[in-house]
Amino acid sequence: MKIPILRLGDILLTSIQVDLTDAEVMQFQGDVLHAIADIEARGLLIDITAMEVVDSFMARTINDTANMARLLGAEVVVCGMHPAVALTLIEMGRGLIGVETTFNLNEGLVRLNRRIQQRGDSISTDQDE
Amino acid sequence: MTESADFTLGQVLEIRQEELLNAWMNSVLLTWRRKYPHTAINEDLLRLQSRQLLDELRKLFSGAIPPEGWEPVPGSKIATLLYDFSVKHAKHGIKHNDTVLYISVIKQLLIRALLQDAPPACRVLNTLIISMDHVLDRLTVTLYDAYLETRERIIAQQSLSLLELSTPVVRLWDRVVMVPLIGVIDTQRARQITERLLEAIAKYEATVAILDVTGVPVLDTSVAGHIMKTIAAAQMLGAQVVMTGINPDGAQTLVKLGVNFAEVTTRATLRAGIAEGLLRVGKRIVPIKE
Repeated sequence: MKIPILRLGDILLTSIQVDLTDAEVMQFQGDVLHAIADIEARGLLIDITAMEVVDSFMARTINDTANMARLLGAEVVVCGMHPAVALTLIEMGRGLIGVETTFNLNEGLVRLNRRIQQRGDSISTDQDE
Repeated sequence: MTESADFTLGQVLEIRQEELLNAWMNSVLLTWRRKYPHTAINEDLLRLQSRQLLDELRKLFSGAIPPEGWEPVPGSKIATLLYDFSVKHAKHGIKHNDTVLYISVIKQLLIRALLQDAPPACRVLNTLIISMDHVLDRLTVTLYDAYLETRERIIAQQSLSLLELSTPVVRLWDRVVMVPLIGVIDTQRARQITERLLEAIAKYEATVAILDVTGVPVLDTSVAGHIMKTIAAAQMLGAQVVMTGINPDGAQTLVKLGVNFAEVTTRATLRAGIAEGLLRVGKRIVPIKE
């Protein structure tokens, strides 16, 4: 099953709704990265509201994808984490290191936009577009 | 006919020099012209060199047969002749087998001439042929050595100039320098890139260094390791590093290898990287107001 990746201006929005198999996770990762490269996205918002369980593999995948997206020049925010998921992740000692997280989508967009606005490419190009 | 014991290659060469030279030149030039129709071959020079070579051979074989294990003395006339010949043809792009052909042709011709001219029941003929075969073999080796030496020198020069070409450090703006990395990054190049970058940072008092890896075909552990060292060195001089031009595959590889360039700002394109770099020195690009 292919996870939709939505474009919102310079931001890509993707929502993980179902449990993914390993192959699907890899597919998703590749899709997201190519989408970022294609439109030179400045931000990536990963919504995990629908995930009630996050195992260590999934956590690692999200973390890796975020790091890869960062290497492609995108800011990354993960939003919609359930309190239970947060607790489990802390218990596992395997947080989503280095990735900013917010409780809901709206807050995620605000944070992402704030970070994007501080970037050099936004400051230089917003004027001439 | 001479007495069989006095029969030498020197005599054959003296009598038949022109004939041998013509046959030699015809055969060699025929092959070269066929294989290298676009290479200009200086026939007069070749003929002159070949004549000198035959003269040397004649001198060598005029008295006693050269001792077993004969080697051309480095710097002697015959060695110099062959060296020059080889260097010239290596530079002109004549292949090694066709350069060596030069000696093998004259060997054939000389053996035939010897067999024809030798008096009946000549006792020294065998020794003579073996000795000549040895001498010409040693000359082939000399030729080949010189050829290889020249080629290696050419290759070394080329890789050196390639190295120079491929690692420019560009001063983009006041206090912003940029390094466009192109091609495969090996240890030697990585060191040179780092050196150049550090020199440039020091020279221009740069506070931002942009590292563009668009032109690097493969980002693997070793390349990533080299780039990390370069980045760390630049940071030690107080410069902030912006990396640009990583592609999706590269990003995936790097993260899977456990490299995440945590201390480095990364941007998709050089364009975004330049904007970021300028921001760090308090500049931005704006349209000209009409």
